Amino acid sequence: MRTSLDGLYFAGGVLAAGFMVAILLIIVGQMVTRWTGIAFPGSTDYAGYCMAAASFLAFPYALNAGSHIRVTLVLSRLGSYQRAGEIWCMAIGTILACYFAWYAVRAVYWSHFLGDISQGQDELPLWIPQLSMAFGGVLLAIAFMDNLISLIITGRDNIEAEKLRDAGH
Amino acid sequence: MNELALTGIFLFVLFLLLGSGVWVGLALLGVAVVGMELFTSRPAGDAMITTIWSSSSSWSLTALPLFIWMGEILFRTRLSEDMFKGLAPWLARLPGGLLHTNIVGCTVFAAVSGSSAATLTTVGKMAIPELRRREYPEHMVIGTLAGAATLGLMIPPSLILIVYGVTINESITQLFIAGILPGLVLASMFMAYVAIRSFVKPDERPVAEPRMTFAQKVAMSRFLIPVLLLIAVVIGSMYLGFATATEAAAFGVIGALVLAASQGSLSFQTFLESLMGATRTSAMIALILAGAAFLTLSMGFTGLPRAVAEFISELNLSRTELLIALMVFYIIVGCFLDGISSVVLTMAVVEPMIRQAGIDVIWFGIFIVVVVEMAQITPPIGFNLFVLQGMTNHDIGYIARAAIPMFLIMVVMVFLLIAFPSIATFLPSSLSG
Repeated sequence: MRTSLDGLYFAGGVLAAGFMVAILLIIVGQMVTRWTGIAFPGSTDYAGYCMAAASFLAFPYALNAGSHIRVTLVLSRLGSYQRAGEIWCMAIGTILACYFAWYAVRAVYWSHFLGDISQGQDELPLWIPQLSMAFGGVLLAIAFMDNLISLIITGRDNIEAEKLRDAGH
Repeated sequence: MNELALTGIFLFVLFLLLGSGVWVGLALLGVAVVGMELFTSRPAGDAMITTIWSSSSSWSLTALPLFIWMGEILFRTRLSEDMFKGLAPWLARLPGGLLHTNIVGCTVFAAVSGSSAATLTTVGKMAIPELRRREYPEHMVIGTLAGAATLGLMIPPSLILIVYGVTINESITQLFIAGILPGLVLASMFMAYVAIRSFVKPDERPVAEPRMTFAQKVAMSRFLIPVLLLIAVVIGSMYLGFATATEAAAFGVIGALVLAASQGSLSFQTFLESLMGATRTSAMIALILAGAAFLTLSMGFTGLPRAVAEFISELNLSRTELLIALMVFYIIVGCFLDGISSVVLTMAVVEPMIRQAGIDVIWFGIFIVVVVEMAQITPPIGFNLFVLQGMTNHDIGYIARAAIPMFLIMVVMVFLLIAFPSIATFLPSSLSG
């Protein structure tokens, strides 16, 4: 169970990394086509979709890698109440992640149902790129629930200690 | 309930969620939901998804992961050694000696990296042990490094300027170009401080380095040529209008890969590590931006930005007074939040304020970077301090004290920017294309 969940989050991260490479390729492609005069309609939209996918799909992976930042000033001074504080944060995180996942899935459903088309030059049905948001949202909700349950039962979450150099400061 | 009480609840939830340690991006999202529920009858969930989707899939944001990736690749190369070896011969004879390698090294690396933490680690990794071995005063080694690393966010590329530009819908290229001169001015002030101090306290002067001939110096610094070329390509392509910020970032990633490969430090392993590291950092910032985009929408419904802007304009502050007030405000905010979070969290309120006051938003971007960076070298929350703590095992208080002179120099920089706005606005206004 533990390994399969961790594998799932990591898979999200790998997929996100793939989309990051895709951003690079699209942008290079865009420059090459501009110089050679070939049309590449919708390239900026595709790059944007890849950007969204590279972000959303990596949320749970980044969470467990300790990359997401938080203010631990109070939390680290709670002493014996620290665990209660951790549970509070994780519970709030779970609620918000579930809320987000629910509406993200709903948005994809409605985009598909109404046949929404992108307003950019790509003219792609919107539900396709929005899938990354729904998948990422659901995965993040699962990751938070997973962490919350681990924290309550075993007293420890699955988040690695914060990697400072990782943070984009 | 009246408006004031609702605003009170809104702010209380903001401080509660952020302060209790909820992850910043999610905390902003949560506050935004509460704000929507309190102030408008619009369905909060659907508004959230629409806003977050359009901000997360924005084209101008794609510069962010690419610049992060570029820094991650270069971090895993031999650049840090090459930089010290290449810079030391030129700087050794200056008053203050090799302490200047900290500053010039940070300046050079800042031009290929968008983050001050990455700049700090890359330069410090090599410079700290080398300077210690030569018995430079420890507080100077650490202080100059802490201060100069803040250039990472000022000299383009800069993650915080991308975030700022995306948040207020201004040209990232213009912001990047605007950061060049102030970055160089700040670097020269740091260097001047090191030089002056070496005259005031001659007993701190370490043993002089052996003399080298010009040819030897050039031979030592030949390793710096690739990185200088990379800088020229990335910044030059933007300045000359060949490329947008995103395209320059793509050049940067490819250039960094070529540089790493030519040094023989590019393996499949390091390629994957750099890619995954960049994915994590980019996701971290994306979550904050997603939360902030929704909070900005929600904040609009609360009427808070308008009220604050009106309140400020009724105070009839002069431009200088307003900016000093903002400086103090951001230093306080920066005591609790990191740079990117403080910018995105406050822009919804601050943007209308500065636009109304007629302050140039490109200039303000540079101003805010200096101010927010000052907060990164002051306790209790200063990321540069944390990184240095991890690298040197000194306690935060010692590092913060060592950085005080740099902090004061940055205060001087803020006043220079206020007195001579053209330091920041001259280059972007001459931008071609």
